[in-house]
Amino acid sequence: MTAIEIRNLSKSFGPVRAVDDISFTVEAGTVTGYLGPNGAGKTTTLRSLLGLVTADSGTALVNGTRYADLASPVSEVGAVLEATNFHPGRTALNHLRVLCTAAGLPAARAGECLEQVGLSEAADKRVGGFSLGMRQRLALASALLGEPRVYILDEPANGLDPAGIQWLRGFLRYLAHEQGAAVLVSSHVLSEVEQTVDNVVIIAKGRLVRQGTLAELTASDGDQSVRVRTASEELRPALEKAGGTVEELETGLFRVHGLTNEDVARLALDQRILVTELTPERSDLQKIFLELTGDESR
Amino acid sequence: MRLVKSELQKLFTTRLWWIMLIVMLLLVVLQLVFLIAFAGQEQNGAPGIPALDDPGWLPIAFSAASTGNIFTMILGVVMMTSEYRYQTITGTLLVTPKRTLVIAAKLMSGVVVGLLFAVVALVFVGIVAVIAVVAGGGTVSLTAHHLPQVALGILIGLALYTLFGIGLGALVRNQIAALVGAIVWSYVIESIFAAIPALQPVGKWLPRGAYEALMDVEVNTGLGASNLLPVWGGALVLIGYGLAFALVASLTTTRRDIT
Repeated sequence: MTAIEIRNLSKSFGPVRAVDDISFTVEAGTVTGYLGPNGAGKTTTLRSLLGLVTADSGTALVNGTRYADLASPVSEVGAVLEATNFHPGRTALNHLRVLCTAAGLPAARAGECLEQVGLSEAADKRVGGFSLGMRQRLALASALLGEPRVYILDEPANGLDPAGIQWLRGFLRYLAHEQGAAVLVSSHVLSEVEQTVDNVVIIAKGRLVRQGTLAELTASDGDQSVRVRTASEELRPALEKAGGTVEELETGLFRVHGLTNEDVARLALDQRILVTELTPERSDLQKIFLELTGDESR
Repeated sequence: MRLVKSELQKLFTTRLWWIMLIVMLLLVVLQLVFLIAFAGQEQNGAPGIPALDDPGWLPIAFSAASTGNIFTMILGVVMMTSEYRYQTITGTLLVTPKRTLVIAAKLMSGVVVGLLFAVVALVFVGIVAVIAVVAGGGTVSLTAHHLPQVALGILIGLALYTLFGIGLGALVRNQIAALVGAIVWSYVIESIFAAIPALQPVGKWLPRGAYEALMDVEVNTGLGASNLLPVWGGALVLIGYGLAFALVASLTTTRRDIT
């Protein structure tokens, strides 16, 4: 069964069409990045999926069911929305205990989940004194309470320090690839999720721009190139003769289009030219992201 | 049931409830001091507050606990509005997407909180008042002079005022605005309706008028008898308000987009 299925979803706030006919699916065992600039409609999509916002038309299903109709939502879906969903006067442990009580989970889960996100030491501190990063970890802990198989995370990397982002990447991969969970993670900063996601869904101005696997996206739009450094003057004519387009970035440093890494290496070997650097340049997804989402992403 | 427990946990894991409890008891003490000091003294030529050894004093002393209504109303407002203020409503609705269940649990826990506050206030008043009566040479009878009715009125009143707070909070959502609204309504608007004779025919239909009718404690201060509904009428009107606020709370919450 498809873990998350969004079909022709639309939602307007007054005259603003926040989400316009969006459709995509997320399968178990994969991490899907839901990407777009701020205000693209990511949060509205996720909130519709979670039953917090009523869509104007279309359907959003989790495990084949509307979120509101799930028998035990916390045990099926773990959600992380904004970082501010806490009462500042309540301790971290009590925050989770309140949720455990409401969900009918044993109170012990609160402590276990705090430990899982590395917050055990702050368990009895009031959330009001927490940093943004700690709040994100606490939000993630609340998503883990029911040991769900589907995770929906809205900008979970916001406010995390580099070490925290590194940790989050590993954790999301662990959930999907080792626990077999379906993970849908939104972000407006591509580099945060680029190394984590298997699939990408890109939206801008409420509309779906592109979706596919990370490999597909980088391959189809990938403007493959190779960086070559050499002191020899003979390499450039040889490359051009072989069909490559060469631009000189600085003295002795070239970018070659139209030839693979191996083509260039073989040419250099044949010509007995010393090459001191040879780097394949995978077209950065960031570049594609910027092209696809247009000007408003900058 | 677990939702009600969760709602109570929400309240008792934050600090406001005991601050409210202490302030309520302080206000009760102030009133008792006043009632003890002026017991048996004439006011404006009228009999005023009965003497300590008069069996009529005890019910009046017990009615001091009725001042707790404003505190349970504030708690009700905060129980609802802090969910919006701190956006914990998101987490609440993620655990329980069926919103009517959440509201029902909030209302039920509100009744529990109101009853708890009423019991604490009554026990507190009871101890102080009984000591005062015995010290004043009177005999204590807990069933005389519609004392049970006053106690029951306070229990019902405090519970229902918590519901008023929850309903108001659901409607207004802005915590400060809802709190200011609740206090201005109770202390200014309803006081005006209760104090000005020309407005009393309207005032008796307002929550405070109904609440006073429910306890039916008459203190003749020489300003003339106040115009109140019969006891059963007060009870019905007050419960009506409770239901109306509960309805407001559930209607406003079930339809709203949580963004």
